[in-house]
Amino acid sequence: MARNKYDIDETLQTEFNISHIRRLARYIKPYRKDMAMVIILMTLASALGMLTPRILMDILDVYIPNGDIKGIVFISLVLLVICLIISVILRMKISVTSRLGQNMIHTIRSDIFEHLQELPFSYYDDKPHGKIQVRVVNYVNSLSDLLSNGIVNTITDLFSLIFIVAFMLSINVKLSIICLMGLPLLMILVFIIKKKQRVAWQRLSNKSSNLNAYIAESISGIRVTQSFTREKENIRIFNDLSGEYKSSWMKAVTLNFLLWPAINNISTWTTAAVYVIGIAWLNQGMAGISVGVLAAMSGYIGRFWQPVNTLAGFYNSLLTAISYMERIFETIDEPVLVKDKEDAYDMPPIIGAVEFKDVSFSYEDGIPILNNISFKVKPGDTIAIVGPTGAGKTTIINLISRFYNLDSGVITIDDVDISDVTIKSLRTQMGVMLQDSFIFSGTIMDNIRYGNMEAEDEKVIEAAKTVRAHDFIEGLENGYDTEVNERGTRLSVGQRQLISFARALLADPKILILDEATSSIDTETEILLQEGLKRLLKDRTSFIIAHRLSTIKNATCILYVDEGSIIEMGTHDELIEKKGLYHELYQSQYQFLA
Amino acid sequence: MTAMQWVFSFLKKYRKRLIFAMFLATITAVTAIINPHISGTVVDDVIMNGNHKILPKLVLIMVLSTLIRTTIRFWFVMIFETTSQKMLFTMRDYVYRKFMRQDFNFYNTNRTGDLMSRQTGDMEAIRHFVAYVIYSVYENVLLFVVALVMIFIVEYRLALCMIAVMPLTIYVTYKQLISVKPAFHNIRQHFSSLNTFVQENVSGNRVVKAFAKEDYEIAKFNRENDGFRDAELNASRIWMKYVPVFEFLANALTVILYLVGGIMVVTGSMSLGKLVQVSGYLWMLNLPLRQAGWLANDYQRFVTSAEKVYSTISIEPTITDPEDAIVRERFKGDIEFSKVSYNIGEERILKDISFKVHAGQTIGIIGSTGSGKTTLMNLLCRFYDVSSGEITLDGINVKNIELYSLRDNIGIAMQDVFLFSDTIEGNIAFGRPDCSMEEVIAAAKVANAHDFILQMPEGYDTIIGERGVGLSGGQKQRISLARALLKNPSIIVLDDTTSAVDMETETLIQEELTKTIGKHTVFVIAHRISSIKDADQILVVEDGKIVESGNHDSLLARKGYYHRVFHHQYGDFDQYTILQKEMGV
Repeated sequence: MARNKYDIDETLQTEFNISHIRRLARYIKPYRKDMAMVIILMTLASALGMLTPRILMDILDVYIPNGDIKGIVFISLVLLVICLIISVILRMKISVTSRLGQNMIHTIRSDIFEHLQELPFSYYDDKPHGKIQVRVVNYVNSLSDLLSNGIVNTITDLFSLIFIVAFMLSINVKLSIICLMGLPLLMILVFIIKKKQRVAWQRLSNKSSNLNAYIAESISGIRVTQSFTREKENIRIFNDLSGEYKSSWMKAVTLNFLLWPAINNISTWTTAAVYVIGIAWLNQGMAGISVGVLAAMSGYIGRFWQPVNTLAGFYNSLLTAISYMERIFETIDEPVLVKDKEDAYDMPPIIGAVEFKDVSFSYEDGIPILNNISFKVKPGDTIAIVGPTGAGKTTIINLISRFYNLDSGVITIDDVDISDVTIKSLRTQMGVMLQDSFIFSGTIMDNIRYGNMEAEDEKVIEAAKTVRAHDFIEGLENGYDTEVNERGTRLSVGQRQLISFARALLADPKILILDEATSSIDTETEILLQEGLKRLLKDRTSFIIAHRLSTIKNATCILYVDEGSIIEMGTHDELIEKKGLYHELYQSQYQFLA
Repeated sequence: MTAMQWVFSFLKKYRKRLIFAMFLATITAVTAIINPHISGTVVDDVIMNGNHKILPKLVLIMVLSTLIRTTIRFWFVMIFETTSQKMLFTMRDYVYRKFMRQDFNFYNTNRTGDLMSRQTGDMEAIRHFVAYVIYSVYENVLLFVVALVMIFIVEYRLALCMIAVMPLTIYVTYKQLISVKPAFHNIRQHFSSLNTFVQENVSGNRVVKAFAKEDYEIAKFNRENDGFRDAELNASRIWMKYVPVFEFLANALTVILYLVGGIMVVTGSMSLGKLVQVSGYLWMLNLPLRQAGWLANDYQRFVTSAEKVYSTISIEPTITDPEDAIVRERFKGDIEFSKVSYNIGEERILKDISFKVHAGQTIGIIGSTGSGKTTLMNLLCRFYDVSSGEITLDGINVKNIELYSLRDNIGIAMQDVFLFSDTIEGNIAFGRPDCSMEEVIAAAKVANAHDFILQMPEGYDTIIGERGVGLSGGQKQRISLARALLKNPSIIVLDDTTSAVDMETETLIQEELTKTIGKHTVFVIAHRISSIKDADQILVVEDGKIVESGNHDSLLARKGYYHRVFHHQYGDFDQYTILQKEMGV
């Protein structure tokens, strides 16, 4: 799929279909007993509600004409008790439906989040992060009402509808049919606007996703925006997106609003029809039509349209929710490309022999990134990878952690094919320091501890000392307990690199991977750091990508990579002697001194 | 100004429209009585008493009144909806503008996810209030009052009995409003927190995977997820105490009516007809009571969100344009720092920094990690203000220059490269969105980015992921460099811009940059000697102070920090030349 940006609507893989409903049902299933109970109680409550008019009729027709005050008091007490029962049932309903709704949302949100954790880098690279976030938080939230009250009310209303229709039919079939004639009329209308509604709500969900993405980027990128004095342009774009959101909202919601007047008018027409035709039949003396029948019928007509009205409301919110649901399910269905084999076993403790055998790899079909890479590393070796930007250096090390699957070839660690072991057992034994050092919001202590949650404070401090971060951390206002922001904005990039270095070390990795990990660290600190590392990494294999050749020179083996192939391989001295590309690279750093 | 006043200030413009809509709502509320009344008449008069002649007239009124009523209702609901959207649009714009003006300190202390919630979830609660709650409350109150008045006219004693439940209703409403407020506050808090967590998890997905911390993240997420659910449930536990009470009060009205009314009829102080008539108005009392609990909820939800948004936008940026700010299209680029210090709380970041730069010079800055190099530049751009001392540009204190003019004259390639999820072209042209394609390409060529951009699937139209993921560190830096160069500012700041670029490319970039020497004042912050060697002036910053300054040769001769760094990086230079000689190069 092509990359997406804030002002491009996302495409939809699968439209909403019956299987989505089935999946939704799966979320409801664990609560079906609770749900059944609430529905029974609600039906009881509405039955009790229907009883009230009868009791009132008794008061008017029997007790008052008889002057029976005692009777009135008694029946009032009965009514009061019924009111109490209804209130208690309502309370139970709120309690159960909130619990059901919130729990279901909780589960859906967990599912989408857990699935997101398994999705590859490329999924995150392809779209603005705000668009992923909106699915987990906002979209899921918008299902809450549908899943709690919506379903319970709908089923309850369906039941009362069935009851009422049964009553009506039992009184008079012909009149009932007249009343029911309104339904197909309504259906036709619903059917006509349905397609428009779907399109409108899908459009809205896209627009809200775009807006969200832009807000997220605007906040994250504020420093760049301000330094480039781009505020006005941003405000213009924001208002464009916000305006699109506004107009698609109005379109979608207007269609929804049309349903209510439609039902009201149709119900009035059918009621009128029943009156007119009923009276006409009465005058004709048609069998089965009597004054009593007509009076009773007119009572039920009103009751018949009430649940229809709420059902239509449910239908509206269902249509709304569907456009969010299909997005949520789309994310949950996103295929996981890198996953454990069925018979995957845990990687035994790594000693550190790494081998690439004829490894080829491409991110997209037809655009090869690595071609037939082969090399072998002994435990404890330090491998430096050099070469021009875009040569495939980062890709090589990403493959060691199995962030991607190979097109062909095998990577083994200690003669174990890394695709045969569980990903978790593999990655926990590696310490990867990425180009982009990400700092989570929280204390510095927490950030370093991310490498190993069980580590005690002393261990954390020790790691910080090894990477020479201890001194500057101690200099901060609260030392290790200083709160840092997401991406560590109050730290310099070099400091962030040191912290993520400490984090990688704390993980006690058997294989250490440093991807331009020290590019923003000053040379003095780097040297001290390397001394500390040397001790620490004595028996560990490490891979280093760096541009400062002083960092690379002491490696056991240097790989010169270009255009996805290893062009040169050997120690610093060997490669210098070879006078090839590495030699050229090495020379270039002295060029300016000449 | 309170949060409420702030929200309502956005509605002022629409006051007339809203009053008109309220007027329409009044019509529908008052005419709500027509159809039930007609139904009653049909049953009593037409069916029971056989008065068939009036039926056509009644039916016609019924159909027409429904048509008119629903049309009017649709009309005013749309007015509220449109108004709410217009207001939301203006409010979003207002909040966004405020965000754009906020200083770095604001962003250091507020989490991205929290700020996003202000623009999304909180706005939604405000929208719902304007679009729905306002007229619903009005309609319900109106319905209730109309019914009471009708009953009062028919039989004032019954009306008094009904009013007897009013104090109780008001009390319960009040109680609910009070007790549900902290619960909603709690929900908003958890929502923000959940939002922030997800946002960080998505941004940090590479770290999560690299450390195989998916399980940990999931566990942490579940805590957030639980927290949010529990906050919601907690709130529902509060309103499930009150909503049934309203339901009970509504139903109790019926009981009161029949009990009191029945007794009155029996004792002869009221006619049966009146009782029947009053019971016809009963639903108009019941409906509002049933709604009261839910509306109280909606109201409080709105108040909480409005307060959240308001408190966020009430924070004033500390860095603002001075009065009579100096506006200048282009500055020459003479810069002077005199006795500049900068503290964060107790921490002294910069101490007594003084140096002078002439327009067109190149200044190299080197020093250990966290020594304050970037801060120097942040102060120059007024991202922060100096704690003491002053910085002048062309002899003018930067604090007296309009922020826009100042920053527009400085092009920064920041250390922490941030790219937007946009095309490469869009990213390079970020500072000058309307510039021509040729200019973009020219800037990319200087930054040595042109070639690799052309190799990308769609060249300059390739969309790069947020924060430039999908590009290597060096590629990102080069795009960021091109972005800064395209601005063609009088001052260029290159903060560690080539650290992830290989040596050969760096040399090429430097060759290109040398061509423009003298046109801009250039600051180069770097760790590699090669990046700053040719600078007119090199500052060595250590621990917030300038410890050495001079040019390459004079600094080497000083045998201090600079000399040490040089040796670390090129210590084997002598050895290397020997090697070359040996090999006969």
